[in-house]
Amino acid sequence: MIREFSIVFQNADRLLAGLANTVLLAAFGLLLALVLGGLLSVLLMSESKSVALPARALVDAMRCIPFLLLAYLVYYALPSIGLNFDNWTSGLLAIVIYNAGYMAEILRGVWMQLPTETIDAATAFGFHGRRLFMRIILPQVVLTAIPMIGNQAIQVIKDTAFLMIIAVPELTHAASSIQSKYYVPFAAFICAVALYWAMCGVIEFAVHRVEKIADARR
Amino acid sequence: MSTADAMTAADLLSLLQGTVVTVALSVSGIAIGVPAGLALALLLWRRVPLLRHIIPLYVSIIRATPLVTLGLLIYFALPAMGLQIGPVTAAVVTLAINTTAFNCEIWRAGLIDFPRDQIESAQAFGMSWPHIVWRIMLPQVVRTCLPALVNEMTLLLKGSPAIAVIGIVDVTRAAVRIGANTYEPLPPFLVATAIYAGIVFVFVRMQRWLEAFSLRDEAET
Amino acid sequence: MNVESAIRSPAPALRIIGLTKSFADNVVLDGVSLTVNKGKTVCILGPSGSGKSTLLRCVNWLEQPDQGAVFLGATRLGFRNNGSAISMSARELARVRARIGMVFQHFNLWPHLTVLENLIEAPVHVLRKPPTEAVKLAEQLLDRVGLIEKRDAFPGRLSGGQKQRVGIARALAMEPEVLLFDEPTSALDPETVGEVIAVMRDLSAEGRTMLVVTHEMQFARETADEIVFLDRGRVVEASSPQSFFTEPRTERARQFLQRYSVR
Repeated sequence: MIREFSIVFQNADRLLAGLANTVLLAAFGLLLALVLGGLLSVLLMSESKSVALPARALVDAMRCIPFLLLAYLVYYALPSIGLNFDNWTSGLLAIVIYNAGYMAEILRGVWMQLPTETIDAATAFGFHGRRLFMRIILPQVVLTAIPMIGNQAIQVIKDTAFLMIIAVPELTHAASSIQSKYYVPFAAFICAVALYWAMCGVIEFAVHRVEKIADARR
Repeated sequence: MSTADAMTAADLLSLLQGTVVTVALSVSGIAIGVPAGLALALLLWRRVPLLRHIIPLYVSIIRATPLVTLGLLIYFALPAMGLQIGPVTAAVVTLAINTTAFNCEIWRAGLIDFPRDQIESAQAFGMSWPHIVWRIMLPQVVRTCLPALVNEMTLLLKGSPAIAVIGIVDVTRAAVRIGANTYEPLPPFLVATAIYAGIVFVFVRMQRWLEAFSLRDEAET
Repeated sequence: MNVESAIRSPAPALRIIGLTKSFADNVVLDGVSLTVNKGKTVCILGPSGSGKSTLLRCVNWLEQPDQGAVFLGATRLGFRNNGSAISMSARELARVRARIGMVFQHFNLWPHLTVLENLIEAPVHVLRKPPTEAVKLAEQLLDRVGLIEKRDAFPGRLSGGQKQRVGIARALAMEPEVLLFDEPTSALDPETVGEVIAVMRDLSAEGRTMLVVTHEMQFARETADEIVFLDRGRVVEASSPQSFFTEPRTERARQFLQRYSVR
C-alpha cells in the first residue's frame, strides 16, 4: 500500500498536470458558459416568440442529454459538417454549450426574483441604462447567483472527467495512465478522488465566503 | 426519417440493446440508491453515534467524485485488493454508491423539515419510533422528497455513460460504435439523444402521476 | 405529600409532586405539585410564561422534569419500578402514555390519514385492538362530537374547530384514564371556540378525569372542580372556582383576574 502511494507521488507531476487541465477546462468553460448563458437568458426572456422559443428549446435540450453524448457529438459528429476540433477544444466547447443552458436558467431565475423596490429607487434617483445595470442590477444578480453558480461549478469539474474517454489529459486520465503503467489502481484513483474533493472544498469555501458578504448586505 | 435509413437494422438493434443496458443499470442503481439513501438519512436523523460522523464524510467525498473516476476506482482497485468483481457488478455498485450519497442529502432535508408537532402527538399516544417513522413520517416525507428524488434519477441516468470506461456498452457507446463503423456519426447520436430524452420524459411523467396519486383529495382548503 | 407516602396510599388518577424544570438558566417550573382525582376536572390558569404548557408536557414525559415525580394511578412515569434510578425503556414509556389522552393546541392531527384513520391508528397499532372494534368506537366518538359525516375527509379540509373536535375524539378513542388539554382553544377562531368548549363541558359532566390548561375563564369557572393558578413556575393558589374567581387570596391572582376580567 505504501509502495503504491509512493509510486503515485513519484509521478505527482503527471497527476498535477492533469489537475491543471481539469481546472483550466472547468474555469474557462464556466466563464464562457456564464457569458453565453447571460446572452441566452436575455433571449429566453425576450417578448418575441421566434427568439424565445429556440432559446428555450436549446436550454431544455441540454437538460435531457448526457454531457458525454454532447462531447461525442462535438468531437465525432461535427467534423461531418466540416467543423473539426481537437479533443481538448471539443471538450471545452461541450462544457460551454452544456452549461450555458444551466447558467441561463440560473440567471433568469435570479433576474425574475430581483426585488423591484431597489431598482425603482435607483431609477427614481436618476440611475438609468448602463449605469443602472452595472452598479445596481448586476451586483445584486451576481451575489444572489453565486451559490447556484458554485454548485454548477462543482458539476462542471465532475463532468470534465468524462472527457478522459475522448483522451483529454485531465485528472482522471492522468490517474488512469499512472495506474495502467504501474499497476497501482487503488493509490492512483484515491489520490484523484482526494484532489476532486479538495477542488470542491475550495469552491464550497469560496461560495461560503461570498454568501457571508451577500448576507451582510441583505 | 432519412437519418434512420442511414443505419441498418443491425445498428438499430445494437442501439436497442444499449438502451436496455442503460435502463437496466440505471434502474438497478436507483433501486439500491433510493432506499439506501433513506437508511443513511434515518441513521443521521437519529444521531446514531460514530455513524453520524462517518456518513457525512462519505456523502461529501462521493458528491465531489466524478462517476468516471469512481467507476475506475471500483473496477480496478477492488480486484487488486482481492475482491473479484465483474464489469456489470462494478457498474451497478458505482451508480449505487453515487446516487445513495445524493439521495441521502435529499431524504435528510425532508426528515429535518418534518413538523415536530405530528411526531409529538404520535409519541403522546404511545407510538413506538419504528411505527412513527413508518406510518406517520415516511408517507408524507416521500411526497415532499419526490421531485428532488426524480431529479436525481434523471441526473443518474445522464451520468450513466460513465460506465463505458468499465467496458460496458450502453446506448451512448453503442451510438459511438455505429458512428465509427458507418463514418456517419450524426444519425446514431441523434437517435441516442432522442432515447435519453424519452427516458427522462418517462421519469418526469411517472413523478407527476405519483404526485397526483398520493395527493388524491387531500389538498388543504 | 412526599414521594414515598404517595407510593403507599390509594391512588388518585393523577399526582404531580414537586416538579422542577429549567431550560438553560431559566427556571420554568419550581416545585409544582397538584392532584387530579378520578372524575374531576382541574383547570390550570396563569399568565403566559408561567410554565403551564411545560407542566402538562411533563405529565406524559414529553418533557422530562429535572426533579419531582408524576404518578398515573399507581404507576410512576419515567422511571422503572415506581422510583428506581433506572429510566423507563421506550416501550414502557409508550405503554404508560397510551393510558393518557392528550389534546394539543395545534391539533397535531396526521394530515395524510383520514379523520377515521386518525382515530383508529393508535388503538389498532398501540393497543392492538382489532380494527373492526376500533372503527366501531371511532364512529361512536365521531358521532358524539358531531363529525360523523366527516369520517372519510382529510384533516386539511376541516375548519379549526372541527380539527380540534377530531383531536378530542382521537384522544378518547384510546379510552384513557386521564385527559390532558393543552390550551385546546387558543389556536381557534372565536366562532369555533364554542363548539369545542361544548364538547369539553360534556366530557367533564360525564365524569372524565381532565387536566386542562386554558385561557377560557368562563369554561374554568363553570366546569372546573378545582382551579390551580400558576405564576412563574409556582402554584400560587389552588382552590374551588367559586373561591378563586370571587375571592382570590393572593395579589398575583387578583392582578391576573383583573386583566382577564370575567363577568
